[in-house]
Amino acid sequence: GKAAQPKPAFTDEAVQTLLYKMTGLDLHKVFRPVKKGLKPPHYKLMTEAQLEEATRKAIEEAKTKLIMPPVLNEREPIDDVLAEDKVLEGTETAKYVFTDLSYSIPHRERFIVVREPSGVLRKATWEERDRMIQIFFPKEGRRVIPPTLFKDENLGTVFQQDRHEDVLNMCIAQFEPDSPDYIRVHRRAYEDIDKRGKHDLLRSTRHFGGMVWYLVSSKKTDGLLLDMINRDLLEDATSLITLYHMLHPECQSAKEAKEGKLQGVDLIKVFVKTESQREGYIQLALQAYEEAMATSSAS
Amino acid sequence: AVSAGSRLLKGRGGHVVIRFALGGCTNRPFFRIVVANSRRARDGKYLEQLGCLDPLPNAHGEKVAGLNLERLRYWLGCGAQLSRPAEKLLGRPG
Repeated sequence: GKAAQPKPAFTDEAVQTLLYKMTGLDLHKVFRPVKKGLKPPHYKLMTEAQLEEATRKAIEEAKTKLIMPPVLNEREPIDDVLAEDKVLEGTETAKYVFTDLSYSIPHRERFIVVREPSGVLRKATWEERDRMIQIFFPKEGRRVIPPTLFKDENLGTVFQQDRHEDVLNMCIAQFEPDSPDYIRVHRRAYEDIDKRGKHDLLRSTRHFGGMVWYLVSSKKTDGLLLDMINRDLLEDATSLITLYHMLHPECQSAKEAKEGKLQGVDLIKVFVKTESQREGYIQLALQAYEEAMATSSAS
Repeated sequence: AVSAGSRLLKGRGGHVVIRFALGGCTNRPFFRIVVANSRRARDGKYLEQLGCLDPLPNAHGEKVAGLNLERLRYWLGCGAQLSRPAEKLLGRPG
């Protein structure tokens, strides 16, 4: 058959702008007070111009805080045998792990090799690499052995308490973005949110983009769409659908949209008719929204 | 300090070796791979530390060793000699 156009990646400019628009910028949530030592509150007296200046700086800082962590594919397991020396078999009881400690080498290119008791010299697996690098070059927020929090049973308890954001922040600090653990924890979190319809928990955080990307790639956008319409965020809904069309150009609603060049509510209606599973709910929500618009513009 | 230094200067001069310095607590050895003058005490003043070796296996059954290959190449190029256990260790990763 004919070769399809290469799928847009997470890092494309267009994709990033759409995701950023959908994330929203709620200053109160981004700069929510983190628990620190008690201090009496500071009051500053400012003129109008200074206040504007301060809000502008706050918006800049918020933008840096909302930079999305990268979404990568899972890394391939390393399986490289460098040498096999039968001569050494039986001389030792435990494996030796050798790490190159030269300071100016990036961690990805370090040589970390393991000499097994059977005499085989192989490259270390990704888990061994991460552990060794954390032992010799400790990074803040990482433990040498990943905490038991990230096991599947314990994740359920944390999600009950609606603390997805904290767990995801800890996950970013602990694991590399392309490790299978990182991807597993993130997917569990997104699916749990989708199941319970609590998309607003991540709305103004840096995890929102990743969540939208995952839901669009796996075509589970109904919950998110419903949430957006209920909160009267129609522009976000349209950007969500444009993103969906960018990623799945062969679906029917994409073709209809391109032919008719639909905008706004019509786009949503077409999308709902062709793609979604929970049509009824979304139609109801749309009707309620339109009635609300009508009454507010009439009054 | 003065007497130890003058012991190095008098008599036949020593040479630079790469060897293990033992540290750690009772029943818990820990070696540091170190470049030193051969006439220094085993755990005394050294020129540079090139890495470490933990001879007891850890929770995952590994004996952890770290080597600063860049500096090792420099000292070997300068003509440092190796002690017998240092040779065995450096022979393992090839």
